[in-house]
Parts: sequence; C-alpha cells; structure tokens
Amino acid sequence: MTDLADILIQGFLVGGLYALLALGFVMVVKSSQILNLAYGYQILITAYILFWLLDGLGLPLGVAVPVIFLVGAFMGFTIERLAIRPLLGQPFLAILMTTLMLGTLIKGIAVMIWAGASYSFPFTPGGMLNIGGIQILPSVLYAFVTALVIFGLMYVLFQKTKVGLAMRVVAADNTVAQSLGITVKKIFSVSWVVSGVIASVCAMLAGMVQMVTPELGDIALMKGLPVLLLGGMTSLPGALVGGLIIGVVEGLGGYWGGEIREVIPWMIMLLILIVRPWGLLGERRIERI
Amino acid sequence: MGLPCGTFNTRPEEDMAIFRTRAQWIMLFLGIAFAAVIVLAMPMDWVVWTILLGIYVIAVLGLHILTGLCGQFSMGHAAFMAVGAYAAAYLGGVLGWPAWGTFLIAGLAAAAVGMIFGLPALRIKGFYLVMTTIAAQFVIIWYFREAGWSGGVYGLSVPSLAIGGQALSYIQFWWLTLAIIVPMLYLAKNIQRTSWGRKFVAVRDNDLAAEVMGINLFRTKIVAFFIGCFFAGIGGWLWAHFMGHITPLQFDFHLSLVFLSIIIVGGVGSTAGVVLGAVVLRLVEKLVDNVSSALQGAFPDVFGVQVFPALSLIFFAAVVLFFIRWEPRGLYHKLQRFKTYYRLHPFSY
Repeated sequence: MTDLADILIQGFLVGGLYALLALGFVMVVKSSQILNLAYGYQILITAYILFWLLDGLGLPLGVAVPVIFLVGAFMGFTIERLAIRPLLGQPFLAILMTTLMLGTLIKGIAVMIWAGASYSFPFTPGGMLNIGGIQILPSVLYAFVTALVIFGLMYVLFQKTKVGLAMRVVAADNTVAQSLGITVKKIFSVSWVVSGVIASVCAMLAGMVQMVTPELGDIALMKGLPVLLLGGMTSLPGALVGGLIIGVVEGLGGYWGGEIREVIPWMIMLLILIVRPWGLLGERRIERI
Repeated sequence: MGLPCGTFNTRPEEDMAIFRTRAQWIMLFLGIAFAAVIVLAMPMDWVVWTILLGIYVIAVLGLHILTGLCGQFSMGHAAFMAVGAYAAAYLGGVLGWPAWGTFLIAGLAAAAVGMIFGLPALRIKGFYLVMTTIAAQFVIIWYFREAGWSGGVYGLSVPSLAIGGQALSYIQFWWLTLAIIVPMLYLAKNIQRTSWGRKFVAVRDNDLAAEVMGINLFRTKIVAFFIGCFFAGIGGWLWAHFMGHITPLQFDFHLSLVFLSIIIVGGVGSTAGVVLGAVVLRLVEKLVDNVSSALQGAFPDVFGVQVFPALSLIFFAAVVLFFIRWEPRGLYHKLQRFKTYYRLHPFSY
C-alpha cells in the first residue's frame, strides 16, 4: 500500500536521518572550514565494528553502543591529530584529498576485514507500525527520534555550555578566538571528536534503516553532502531543514518518477548552488583580496 | 630551470624553445621511439597496461588544464570521459557512423557537457565547485544507466577501429594512442604559454584579483572547462574503442579520484608531472595485482577474494597520502631537484 501520505511521512522521517548525516559535516566545517569527506567511511567502519561487537563478541546492546561511541570519538580525534593538523594552512585541495584518501583507506580496511559481506543489525525491529492509518517502518521512526534528540543535544552544547561558546567564537573568527585566550586547536579537536560520535550514531541508525555493506560509506556521502549544501555549510538548523526537505522530495520523486529518486538530492543541490550558493540558512561570506 | 652547463640564451627564440639544445631534441625522439618500440617486447598484459596508461594521460592532461592551471577542481572527470565514450559508442555502434569520424565529436560532446556543469563555477568555488562536479559525476553516470538509448547497465558495444578493413591489434592501438598523446602533450604544454594559459593561472592564484585586472572570469573558467573536458572526451573515445564494450560502471567515482590523484602525485601544474604521476599510480595498481595474488597463493585460508579490491584501495590511498603529506609538490619537483643537483655534476657550484 503506497499511499501518498505514507510516502510523505516516510520521506519526512528518513529526512531526519539525512539531517543527522549532514550534522557531522557541519560540526567540522563550522569550526575549521574543512569538508571531511572521510566522514561517510567513518560511519561505514563503525557500523561494521558495532556488528562485530554484537555478533562476533556477543556483547549486549547496552555495552556495545557506548563502546562504538568511544571508537567514533577516538577515530575523529586520531584523524584530526595525525592527518589534518599537520596540513593546516596547506592549500584547500591537499586537505580535501587527504580526507577523501583517508576515507578510501578506511573503506579498504573494512573490505579487507569483512570481505564485502552485508549484514543487518540483530536489533533491527521488524514489521510495520500503523499510526492513525499510516504505515511506517519502525526503524525509520527510531532514526528520526534519535536524530531529533541529537539535534537537541547539539543545541544545548552550542548555546548553554562554555565549550559551545568557544566553538561559536572559533567559527566566527579563528584569530579573534586565539586572542581571547581560546585554544583554537583544542576546539578543532573537540569538533572532530563530536563529529566522530555523531558518525557512530549515524552508523547505528543507517545500519538499521539499510543493510551494512561496503557501499554504506558512499551512500552516506551521497545523501549527506546535498543536505549539507542545501541547508548551508555552517548552520545546524539548516542541516535539519535541508534533511527534511531532501527526504520528502526524494520520497515524492520515488512516487512519481521511479528511478529518478537516486539523483534527486543532487539535482536539488545543483539548483541551490546556482540560485543561492550559500544555502538556505547559511551565511554569506564576503571575500577580500 | 637552469640550462645545461655552458649553454646561454642569446636570442628570443632560444628563450622560448621548449627543447633548447640538440641533445634534448635527440632525447625527445629517442624517447618517443623507445615508447613506440618497447611494446613489441612486452607480454600482452603489459601492453594493455601501457595503453590504459596512455588513455589516463590524455584524460588527466585535461584535468591538469582545468585544475592544475585554472584551479577549478573537478571530481567528475571520469563522467566527462564517459560522455566521450558514449558518444563514440552510440554514433559508431548504433548509428553506424565511421569509427574515425567520431573522434572530434566525442571530444566536443564531452566539452559541451563539461561547459554546462562549469556554468555554476562563475559564482562558486572551492567546496561548492567540488560538490558541483561530484554531482556531475553521479548525475551523468545515472543518466547513462537509466536512459534507453545507452543500453542501461549492460552498456553499449563499440565497433573496433580498423585501417583498410583490418582491425587494429593491441600494438597498433598503442601506436595510435601514442600518436594522440604526443600532440596532446604539446598542446597542453603550449596552452600554458599563451595568453589563455596566463589567464588561467591568474584565475587560479586569485580570481578576484584577476577580475580586477580585466580578465573576463566567466569566459576564462568556461574555456578551461571546455578544453579540460575536450581532452577527457578524447580519452573516452580511445577508451571506448579499446575496451570494445562500455558500461556505466567503468566510469565510477573512484576513477575520477584516480585522475585527481595523478595530478597530485605528479605535481600540480606541471605537464610532465601528469605523465610521471600516471606511471606511478598505474605501477601501484600493477604492484597490488602481484602482491594480492602472492598473498592469496601463500595464505589461501586467510586472504579471500576480497584481498585485491581491498589492497588496491589501501595502496592507492597510502601512496596519495604520502605525497600530500611529505612531497606536496609532487614527482616533477623531485625530478627538477635531481636535475639541478646533477647539472654541474662533479662541481657543487
């Protein structure tokens, strides 16, 4: 039963997951103006590690989830410290290619260890939920709720804590932040760690909505990047709005156009780049020579 | 760079020459002759390797003009190459045009599509342009996979190139590739020395300043996309005729990454670097081939079939990361350093 209302709600809920994918990019871009293309592959390998913890080691879910949060945080920290920090001040292409190549490396390692197998998590809920006559997949609903919770946490982090304040200052201007006594490098580290934790949340949810396959990393990039651009590179609410829009439009595209579904996020992104390159809620940067 | 010991430029023509001395000319002809003859002594898989190397070089020369000179990053170069390949396959295979006649059309088709995706480049750069070209990669390949005329995932078969009714052998195909590479290299090298080339470099270094100096930013960027994608289309034409059958899967995002990595490994902004980078990355692929089959032979129960795709990703990433981190100016710079050191060999100054 594919009713239009079903499609809309489903798209809206998946949009929450897309927003969460974009949030990981936003965290890093906001503080350090680096587009972390390894992010999708961080999601990939944490998803595999989570599966291994649950299935290979037989840990209960309550233990395995904190462990992969730690893994995600550690991975974010390591990438920033070992690969990105030595390149600060290098040309844009060098840093971008470094993140992309780290992603390729991580994907290679994942393929090497898990041999391209595809899994689905044992905790994936089955069946369909029927809420008020609308059929939805329970995993998508869980993903949406989790995404909202994470966005709420990020809001608290940015608006109510001292670290969040420092992160906002760094985002506004590195030099000013430095002269105010904020350790800019430490803030970079923190934002990468937070982004790594978000990656492991994404891994959990994406693995639930979809199978865990070696393509998961590419899929995460293919969905996350258009959302990032649509919402504006540095805006948290932008990521949420962009994610929901792309989720719904993609659902509609699948309903009417069938195969066009796959490229709809990119089409929307191209459109926004031509009309309004800084995104829906992003800020416009003015350049000087 | 320094001239050979005891050579001095006394006339403007000498200053302009790419190959300055007689020895350099002789080296050039010997080099081309060597490249043409060496394939006769190679086993078949190395001949194939060499031909693909040549095709990579042609496509990457376009990317070199686009990214290395004009500073417009393209992560969708494989897709532009696919446009050329599909143009050749459709016109030659489905409509039955003569295979040689589609050469320029393949290049121009890719150039036209590249220009369309280059249009947003007027307003955006950096991150945003990268995103546009990644979008180009996925949208173009998706189109070829879904469109009716292109045969979907099964792709199209391409008639082989023939001279006098006789299809080209691999060795003859390499000679054809070489005959295309040499003028292309000359063209790419010379573009840097024209007013367009200087405009490209000005735009790369600071596009705002370039515009203030009176360079038409939009036209310059579009021309860069046109030339860069034209080269990709020619590469695609060769690829299609060499493979004999093309599918959308051959032109994936990874190939675009390989192209961009060749530029980084070779050294951004140098023509010779393109060739060096392509050779190194193709050698790495060959190395992975041998290492993975050796590993599989030695420990068949540890390493399964996944070892080849996994190792090719890991080795490729490791090599590129090494170059970005420790040799950011690439192999060409290394070569120049070496030549400078040995220029006055027995004496240090």
